[in-house]
Amino acid sequence: MAGTDAAGRRLLNRLNPGVGGWQVGAATVVTVSICLGLSALLIAATGGSPIAAAKALYQGGMASQSAWTSSLLYVAPLLLVAVGACVSARSGFFNIGQEGQVLIGALAGAFVGLRLALPGPLLLVVVLLAALLASGAWAGLSALMYRFRGVNVVVSTLLMTFLAQQLVAFAVNTPWLLQESRLGTGVVSPQSNPLPENARLVSFGQFPNLQVNTGLILALVVAVALALALARTRWGFRLKMLGLNPVTARHAGVKVGLLGGLALATSGALAGLAGALLLTSPVGTNRLQPGMSLNIGWDGLLVALVARNNPLLSIPVAVLFGVLRAGGGFLAATGVPSILVDVVKALLVLAFVAPPVVIGMLRRRRPSGSSGTPTTPTATPTPTGPAPRDGADAQVPATDATGGPTTASTRNVMEGRPA
Amino acid sequence: MDVDDQVTPALTLRGVSKRYGPVVACDAVDLTVRPGEIHGLLGENGAGKSTLMKILLGLVQRDTGTIDRDGRSVEIETPQVAADLGLGMVHQHFSLIEPLTVWENVILGDTGRVDRAAACAQVEEVGRRYGLPIDPLARVDRLSAGERQRVELIKCLRRDPSVLILDEPTSVLTQAESAELFGVLRRVVQAENRAVILISHKLAEIISATDRVTVLRRGAVVFQGETSETTPQLLARQMVGREVSLQNESAALGLLPVEAPTGGHSDETAAPAAASPPTPAPAGPPALRLHEVSVLVGGLPLLDRLDLEVAAGEIVGLYGVEGNGQATLGDLLSGLVVPDTGTVEVAGRPVDLNRPGSMHEAGLGVVPEDRHRSGVVLDMTIAENLVIKSLDGVCTRGVLSRRRMNRFAREKMTEFNIVAPSPDTPVRSLSGGNQQRVVLARELSAGPKALVAAQPTHGLDVGAIEDMYLRLRRAAAEGVAVLLISTELEEVMALADRIAVISSGKVVGVLPTAEATAERLGMLVGGVSH
Amino acid sequence: MSAADNIATILSSGARLTVPLAFAACGEYVAQRAGTLNISVEAMMLGAAFGSIAVASATGSATIGLVAGAFVGMSVAFVHANLSHRAQINTFVVGLVLNALVLGLTSYLITVSSFTGHQVWQVDVPVLRDIPVIGPLLFTQRWPVYLLLAVIPLTWWLVERSRWGLELRAVGENPQSADVSGIQVNRRRRQALLWAGLLAGLGGAYLAVGEVGSFNQNMTAGRGYLVIAAVIFGAWRLRRTLIGCVVFGLADASRLALPALGITVNSQLLIAAPYVLALLAMLFFATKDHEPRALAQPFNRGTV
Repeated sequence: MAGTDAAGRRLLNRLNPGVGGWQVGAATVVTVSICLGLSALLIAATGGSPIAAAKALYQGGMASQSAWTSSLLYVAPLLLVAVGACVSARSGFFNIGQEGQVLIGALAGAFVGLRLALPGPLLLVVVLLAALLASGAWAGLSALMYRFRGVNVVVSTLLMTFLAQQLVAFAVNTPWLLQESRLGTGVVSPQSNPLPENARLVSFGQFPNLQVNTGLILALVVAVALALALARTRWGFRLKMLGLNPVTARHAGVKVGLLGGLALATSGALAGLAGALLLTSPVGTNRLQPGMSLNIGWDGLLVALVARNNPLLSIPVAVLFGVLRAGGGFLAATGVPSILVDVVKALLVLAFVAPPVVIGMLRRRRPSGSSGTPTTPTATPTPTGPAPRDGADAQVPATDATGGPTTASTRNVMEGRPA
Repeated sequence: MDVDDQVTPALTLRGVSKRYGPVVACDAVDLTVRPGEIHGLLGENGAGKSTLMKILLGLVQRDTGTIDRDGRSVEIETPQVAADLGLGMVHQHFSLIEPLTVWENVILGDTGRVDRAAACAQVEEVGRRYGLPIDPLARVDRLSAGERQRVELIKCLRRDPSVLILDEPTSVLTQAESAELFGVLRRVVQAENRAVILISHKLAEIISATDRVTVLRRGAVVFQGETSETTPQLLARQMVGREVSLQNESAALGLLPVEAPTGGHSDETAAPAAASPPTPAPAGPPALRLHEVSVLVGGLPLLDRLDLEVAAGEIVGLYGVEGNGQATLGDLLSGLVVPDTGTVEVAGRPVDLNRPGSMHEAGLGVVPEDRHRSGVVLDMTIAENLVIKSLDGVCTRGVLSRRRMNRFAREKMTEFNIVAPSPDTPVRSLSGGNQQRVVLARELSAGPKALVAAQPTHGLDVGAIEDMYLRLRRAAAEGVAVLLISTELEEVMALADRIAVISSGKVVGVLPTAEATAERLGMLVGGVSH
Repeated sequence: MSAADNIATILSSGARLTVPLAFAACGEYVAQRAGTLNISVEAMMLGAAFGSIAVASATGSATIGLVAGAFVGMSVAFVHANLSHRAQINTFVVGLVLNALVLGLTSYLITVSSFTGHQVWQVDVPVLRDIPVIGPLLFTQRWPVYLLLAVIPLTWWLVERSRWGLELRAVGENPQSADVSGIQVNRRRRQALLWAGLLAGLGGAYLAVGEVGSFNQNMTAGRGYLVIAAVIFGAWRLRRTLIGCVVFGLADASRLALPALGITVNSQLLIAAPYVLALLAMLFFATKDHEPRALAQPFNRGTV
């Protein structure tokens, strides 16, 4: 199926940091202001007080050490999902199924954690590994479907999200699987038993002081390690090459399906690890529940988008999203529904994604000078066109390879078959 | 220069200029096209032909100058305006939409209600009138190159254009199909008093098919006159700007025509090849050997049990009309296509065709036909592009050394004359010639046993072409087996020791260059083996 | 209840559940034929469901609500179209953001406001409605169902027979060539998205003012994704897409109806079935032939 690779590559090209320099920075300030202004307007229009809401967000998310404690609990899984999304987007295998992969990770973690009686922290390690592997394999299925049947990765990862949701629902509704055991005559809920203590992540610090869960440390280590790996290793080099030009990558000896598939699996595995964090850290109830993913999968993906697929930039963005989440819980007291933060987050993503793209487009359009109609950009030489010095007679067929035709042939390359 | 001015020109351009940033694509171009003539537009790659035509078709807006259509000044703002003004173009590429049928393609771009019966009838009627038979209900992806060209022509002619523009129309056609095309054009011009602009870089075509000719060089008109009063040598000189004497230049410019096989020409062509070092006797296994290689798509063979051998130190030219399997062969040798049957051996050892990178490891270098597609990663730097095939050389236990990469890049930039500010320059910002040098530097520095160069001079300027020729010859002299895949006969004749002719995915004949006359090659290309 | 009654129950509730899907699928089908793999159809439906109830509540007319829903769907489509086919932002990113935005916005607004319930009127043909099984199915539906019966052939005609549709298909198959032929690629894609927004809007609005008469948070609950699955299951052909909608609708109906009839079925399996079917369709049927070749590939004349 067309487009998977193209989508990711375009994304990569368009979200490339440094593309616009100060103009993008300035435009981002403007768009973020607009986004915040719109949010304030929404609150005011529905009878709330924007200032009170902002205060509540601040107080709930970052005003005190305990506020930070709850914010950081969200940051860890968000960051893991986001870093994984960076890896897959860079390879051109764009994964949007993190929400399901988070659940699969939690499912596998819960299964192992409740079924195996392992001593001490070993159980925790096995839970985390199980989550990692299960979600990696789950996302790997999409890679296999693409490799062998050409199924669009975006579509398959998206559809499999809903399978994952039903799998979890099935597991917690099925007594012989993971449904909680009946205690006396009590009512049985669709959830699993709580994980044993030795399968939970420990936190450092004491309430009301700052508590840092080991999950956060794990997430930070993963983010930094992957950032380094992407920038400095052969693997990162190949991944970049694959994302930017899969045909040349294959020509240069890259096993496209394998490398891209592994990138996808890595992305899934990290989402799964995030799921395990939701299960084993104090952010939830330490039980497998259908709604336990808390939209972390979707949000983590948005974090990566805002961070323009940069794992290191993902850290502050994940912190911002974590603060918004924790602060959202405090909104209700001001009469503003806590769901407001979801609106703010979505607007924020637009505010960060739009400027580099729009500025890039304006810049391409401007040199034509003439009265280009606003509906269609006039044909002008662009970074993707042949280099001007090649000769003014632009677009000789042999150099006309960066647009649609490439992606068409790329598909065949990915499948290892001629057109 | 203007003669018999009684006729109002169909099209007059005065002082038309177009800049792309610092680059002047068209520089005060004057062009007059009269009804009833075939007007040749000749120029090198990069001379401004395409930009000029895009201006006429409303795809690009000019910066300055005026355009008169039948004596009235016009503004061509959109393709629709161009069509309304009776300007029609047959594009070289990207014009037909494959999953649609012939009639749907033909009416694409019209306005108003879709009337299938009328469209089909019109396709048949236009086809009959001009001798272009085609089934209007056929899906385009089931048609041959020649048939698609017919659809393009019908699509253009049914709009009754008074000025018909053809962009390199014969590049995918056999000689017979080309002859048929020019026959149709002649009919269009004489019987119906239309004007035809024929864009070509093939001198023979211009000489034999046009009435008048305009030569563009670096965006400016350098010559305009009656075709009958010029000679190929004169046109070539105008096009290049100096006397064409170098054999390889004339080759690059397509000066020596296949269609006009005078003995003298081919003898001259053969001479320098004979003067180059004598072909070494193939001892031991050939450096590159393809055996019974077939690639099938939907049951149709793109490559059909192709056999080919190249010895160390030899240049073999694989010549044929575009679209006879060269692209597939290039992809196959780049590891992008896996053949259905057959083997590829490098220095006597079979290569595992299923494993990416095995070609490179076996010692096969490739300068691909489309470097943007499979030769370079445009958004990576020169240094990065130079090591994409040999990452192990700059990695220690999987960790990349930027320092070693840059040192290597500096060396190669000097050695291969790659002009760029630094190794960190993105390849996207390089000229085509420099991009091609990056590819060649990478492939040759791996110490290949065999080198495949597919259309290595496409889109390059004369200087870069000369450079490429020099380096290919030098590689061969150093013992590399060079397979030159080219659609330019003259390029092949200038460089190759032996010429293999490819037709319909098969090698239909192999001749030493000295024995390759234009007639013999022409026959082979047309599929006649004996 | 007799077996026939049971079947009739499932069929008619299946039909009701199919209607919103079918509306939106007709739109999504057009968008995909033009080359947009539109995942914001969820946002279009959800926004429309909310908008229809809000306007119905304000005006007291469910029909005006339905029209407003269509308008909201088109508004979402308008935003999507301009962001991805004018500003050239990746269509999946735009879709994801719009889905998140509309979900957040409608959830927010429904929390801070309250609406009265409204439903569009029901057609009830005397005598004919008493035909067993098909009677209630065909002759006692709410009026937008009959609108759907007009929308389907109209969609087919637009895509397969009109000039607009020809250009749409060209744009979805090969935007470069379409551009050379003088077709405004991105404009056509935007128009296709607007059509998708209109129909997804009708589908979403039908969900609210048609069947339920009210709005609740995340009312569409992933039906938009189901619509995408239907188009893929249908291998980019309208008839098969609609068959997909019917199958999905029946699966949903069975999930609700069978337990009441004492038949135990795995509800998770039934919910997951459409997605499994769509994946299986892509895996095992020869769907490639009709897949638009430029699906999900952005077009920008400058970059080609």
